[in-house]
Amino acid sequence: MKSFEYTITDPVGIHARPAGILVKKIKEFASTVTVIKGEKEVNALKLMALMGMGIKQGDTVKVTIDGADEEKAAAEIEEFFKANL
Amino acid sequence: MALDYRKCAEEISANIGGGSNVISAAHCATRLRLVIADNGKVNKAALENVDGVKGMFESNGQLQLIIGTGTVNKVYDEFLSVTGVSAASKDDVKKAAASKMPLWKRILKTPGDVFVPILPAIVASGLMMGLVEALAKAIPSFANSGWFGFLDLVANTAFALLPVLVAVSAARVFGGNIFLGAVIGLMMVHPALMNAWTVTPTNQPAVWDLGIFSISQVGYQGHVIPVILAVLLMSTVEKWLHKHVPEMIDLFVTPLCTVLVTAFATFVVIGPIFSILENWVLQGAEWLVTSTGGIGALVMGALYPWTVVMGLHHMYNVIEAGMLSGALGLNIWMPIASAANFAQFGACLAVAIKCRNAKLKSVALPSSLSASLGITEPAIFGVNFRFMKPFIAGVIGGAVGALFGSLTGLGATTYGVTGIPGLLAINNIPVYVIELLIASGIAFVITSVIWKEEQPEAAQVPEAAAPAAPELEVPATSVIRCAAGTVLQPVKGNVIAREAIPDDTFASGVLGDGVGIEPEDELVVAPFDGTISSVAESQHAVGIESNGMEMLIHVGVDTVNMQGDGFTCLVKEGDEVKAGQPLIRFDRAKIKAAGYSDTVAVLLTNSDDLEGVECGAK
Repeated sequence: MKSFEYTITDPVGIHARPAGILVKKIKEFASTVTVIKGEKEVNALKLMALMGMGIKQGDTVKVTIDGADEEKAAAEIEEFFKANL
Repeated sequence: MALDYRKCAEEISANIGGGSNVISAAHCATRLRLVIADNGKVNKAALENVDGVKGMFESNGQLQLIIGTGTVNKVYDEFLSVTGVSAASKDDVKKAAASKMPLWKRILKTPGDVFVPILPAIVASGLMMGLVEALAKAIPSFANSGWFGFLDLVANTAFALLPVLVAVSAARVFGGNIFLGAVIGLMMVHPALMNAWTVTPTNQPAVWDLGIFSISQVGYQGHVIPVILAVLLMSTVEKWLHKHVPEMIDLFVTPLCTVLVTAFATFVVIGPIFSILENWVLQGAEWLVTSTGGIGALVMGALYPWTVVMGLHHMYNVIEAGMLSGALGLNIWMPIASAANFAQFGACLAVAIKCRNAKLKSVALPSSLSASLGITEPAIFGVNFRFMKPFIAGVIGGAVGALFGSLTGLGATTYGVTGIPGLLAINNIPVYVIELLIASGIAFVITSVIWKEEQPEAAQVPEAAAPAAPELEVPATSVIRCAAGTVLQPVKGNVIAREAIPDDTFASGVLGDGVGIEPEDELVVAPFDGTISSVAESQHAVGIESNGMEMLIHVGVDTVNMQGDGFTCLVKEGDEVKAGQPLIRFDRAKIKAAGYSDTVAVLLTNSDDLEGVECGAK
């Protein structure tokens, strides 16, 4: 299992639009991706659940990636967070 | 030298890792908006140096390239063909959009789309023409003054040269070059052609003999439909040529051929077909009114607005003049036209009074005034014909009014005026007033009853009353159907294709398939029995789940930026809801004030995993 932490810089946080493209990205990989904020954690493929976390600008989230292609997935998803969120 | 769109598109493609790296491509007024799969393949420095790209930035996961108004669509078209993103997505979009709207509806919608942008011009002209003509009838000395001459010129410019305005607007609607569109419009009212309004049986236009066929030297003053058809043809030819003519000669071959082909088709085919139609209509109309008495008046009163839509009404002066010089010596045509016109006024006024949309009101009110003075184009094209029901109400009112006018022996002593100015030309003023009241009253009442923009009552129900009344109003129409269940329409309003939602992310389907709704109400209700899975902090979006369906209902575009102001979410995460139960109240005025679209996105976020997903109102 791989993981990284990231502090959201997008002013609207993980709302519909960013969440949508994040899910799209994650669908490229076989690994299970989990987004954790405080006590809440969700499967990042569940768009509605992801949005429901109410992640805002300045929040720090932990992302875990677990599965066959976790190496590659972790690197690309971290890159994706930096570029888009 | 114009920008080489294809080269620009090719260079963009080369610097973003090719078409396979593009998840979706869209454009707005100035920017090409790309969703890129792998940003590592994007060469940003090189992109900024591409000729035609004025700047670039990344926002919300989109790579946005600033290209410029009027240019970005061309580059976009080329980009699609270069990257191959085209074949699938663009056709899909077209097919999807087409399948959701029946052909006749699209045909009816076109004149409205063309007319709405030019309304300010024709409303101004229409009102002024009505006033100036009324003054001229009331004060004979005014009609001979320099004041009248000049004011008449100012007032009728937009009408005398209407084909030019229509052509430019139509070119925009059909995606043709607007300057070529202007050329077509100008050609159709060229001073070298005889003015269509001066044609009479004794004053016929000359003919150019071209050997195999001939062209009548007559203009298209006052015409609408032939101009729209001509520009539709022009835009189609232009786009086809852009695709098939080698780039090197495209710049001069395409405009040249486009104008030539359109000119011939217009004057040889479209024009003559319309003049034959016009003659039939004229003869038919004259026969109806003179030979069949009251029934003919009834039928003509109903048909009259349709002939306005066709642009044929300018020829009726011929009939009127014939009646005045004929045995009767009375213009019995005018009461019919007047009833028809005044009924459109009544229908338009009903829309103006009933609608809550400020923009529609601001169009409908002056349009109805203009119609009351006898100039009905703004009311018909700008309002009544667009919504159809008011137009039909006007047709009914006009028919009944015309019947009344015929039975009571109304007639005018001159021609060219209808509506309120007609008071100065009529043989029996009190009866004429009654006729106008009948026509407009019927149209007004029918419109008020059958035309609905929205239901203000629903939005104004006091909050406290809602929980007391557990009776839920379950929506009658569904917007999405799939194997797992049916999604009912959660907001009252006009259902549009997902692709038409004015936001690239929703439109592209990244968030799942679904529809957009242009709300006429301010309440979102549950589209099925289910569980609330999420509520946005800013209250403007809600998630709901049932039987494997995950649904996002998102009110407005970019409304997250309003931080909840104007939105009240009535449920919380985990709530069980029933179909029809209120979920979110929102304030359309506030959304508008904040500068955002209030289109509600209704999306099945996991549509990829569901079977048999079918979108569109049913």
